[in-house]
Amino acid sequence: MTDMISVEDLVLVYGDGTRAVDGISFKVEENGFFGFLGPNGAGKSTTIKVLTTLLRKTSGRVHLAGLDVEKDAAGIRKLIGVQSQETVVDHDLTGRENLMLQGHLQQMGGTELKQRVEELVKLVDLTDAADKRALNYSGGMKKRLDLASALVHRPRVLFLDEPTTGLDPQSRSAVWKYLDQLNKEGITIFLTTQYMEEADKLCSDLSIIDHGKIVAGGTPTELKGQVGTDTITLSLEGSEQGDGGSARAKELLTKVRGVSEVLDSDGGLTVYAKNAGFIVADIVRSFDENAIKMKSISMSSPSLDDVFLHHTGHRIRPEEASPRQTMRRMGFAARRPARQ
Amino acid sequence: MTFFSDTRYLFVRSIRKLVRTPILLFFSLLQPIIFLLLFTQLFARFTAAPGLFPAGITYLSYATPGILLQNAFSSALQSGTSIVDDLNSGFLQKMLVTPVNRSAILLGRLTSDAFRVTAQSLIILVLAYGLGFSVDTGLPGILAMLGIIAFFGLAWSGISLAIGLRTKSAETVFGIGGFLTFPLLFMSTSLVPTDAMPEWIKAVSSVNPISFAVNAVRDLSLPNYFSAGSILTAVGVIGLIAIVTLGATLYLFRKVVS
Repeated sequence: MTDMISVEDLVLVYGDGTRAVDGISFKVEENGFFGFLGPNGAGKSTTIKVLTTLLRKTSGRVHLAGLDVEKDAAGIRKLIGVQSQETVVDHDLTGRENLMLQGHLQQMGGTELKQRVEELVKLVDLTDAADKRALNYSGGMKKRLDLASALVHRPRVLFLDEPTTGLDPQSRSAVWKYLDQLNKEGITIFLTTQYMEEADKLCSDLSIIDHGKIVAGGTPTELKGQVGTDTITLSLEGSEQGDGGSARAKELLTKVRGVSEVLDSDGGLTVYAKNAGFIVADIVRSFDENAIKMKSISMSSPSLDDVFLHHTGHRIRPEEASPRQTMRRMGFAARRPARQ
Repeated sequence: MTFFSDTRYLFVRSIRKLVRTPILLFFSLLQPIIFLLLFTQLFARFTAAPGLFPAGITYLSYATPGILLQNAFSSALQSGTSIVDDLNSGFLQKMLVTPVNRSAILLGRLTSDAFRVTAQSLIILVLAYGLGFSVDTGLPGILAMLGIIAFFGLAWSGISLAIGLRTKSAETVFGIGGFLTFPLLFMSTSLVPTDAMPEWIKAVSSVNPISFAVNAVRDLSLPNYFSAGSILTAVGVIGLIAIVTLGATLYLFRKVVS
């Protein structure tokens, strides 16, 4: 069994009748890097809470490493590391004490735990601040400490709920670096985000979620491929343009497989095609065989934003959480799931 | 058994948090200490009035047990606010996604509360001794007093924890707690004996749980007052309250963690 996470027809209805998650299914393979992309309130956090045993599902089947999320909750808790959306560290404890406590609660101890804590302090670049109270940490440092505390027990699956929301670009790329490294070390990662760039850069597999439903899924490339056309812009050497070179180039281009349209544009040609990445090579080869000299060629692909627009009819507008929204999200027990 | 080790780790966490926020300790000790220094001077000559106070005792030795219980009251109130902090900061959820023993979360809290009340009581006792207070039953009596006070503190922690878990608001815990403290304290035998009270306060005082606790502590400290009966009664009354308040806490906690 290579599926680390398997979710079938998951439904979660809160006590107030909100269908936060409305029949979603997906699988994450072992060592996968899976992303849940969607706007605020799409059901991302709710899904994570069900997967991490914090909320009881209304219906559906959820398994982690073959364990049932409700029958084997205790077993699952040993396998998972979780970083919630709001950064959670104990401000009165030092960075090291935070990590030690987390290790103790994961039933670790002795020199094994001490070594592990040292390792993590180095990993997230907190060596100098490890014995200072977290109260004095910057936002980025707290986030890194929070991430480290999710890793103490070497989880097999890491759940990250919007790990970079509210971070400055520098801290964001630091977090991306750690996550990439962790995934390479074999940890399965489940991440939610409202940032296209993040999903595109990190995830090997994506689901787009909106209003509690998955509207599209696949690799970032596949998803962008579904939207259809990439754009390839090319221009020819000056000598080619006069004596019908342009017409010849156009003729060649229309013969390349996958090209849907070729248009003249200022000083060059614009080609619409699916999967431009593969086609560029064919174009270059074809021009080379026919001795047509190119000055430049470039392509641009549809962004995940276009993908989201294509499937939902609206764009994601990432927003920084306002204090009020944060309060609402934190009140996880304020809205209780309805039992069936 | 992870239950005991988890309880110990969370006990240590609470104590660390406590000593690192000395301002909270300061404020919860401030009131009992002001009472101790001020009331025992202000009312010093009242014990001379015939027939109201037990004969031949100072107001200090009469009121110290009441002040000790007032201290238990005010520190117990902060228990509820700390669980509200953990709820609202997300730390509780962070613990709940680990295999930590669920009951240990509550017990770590309660044991640290009991430890704290005991430590604060010792500080007040030392101050009272400096002013001339003494415990007639000696060290065993002091230990029994501390036991009763800590037990009383736990029962009231139960109330503030239950309010905290129910409302998720530190302000509400403080509001309701503060609202309860003074009427319950003044309408008990903490500071004034029943003979000195008007009839209606006497009626309230006779069923006020603080009266039972304070009478037991007083019977341990005043000379020739020792009575096993009043101690057992106090333990019984506090026990009943504890069953209700801690039962409610446990019920609400289960709802939150399930």
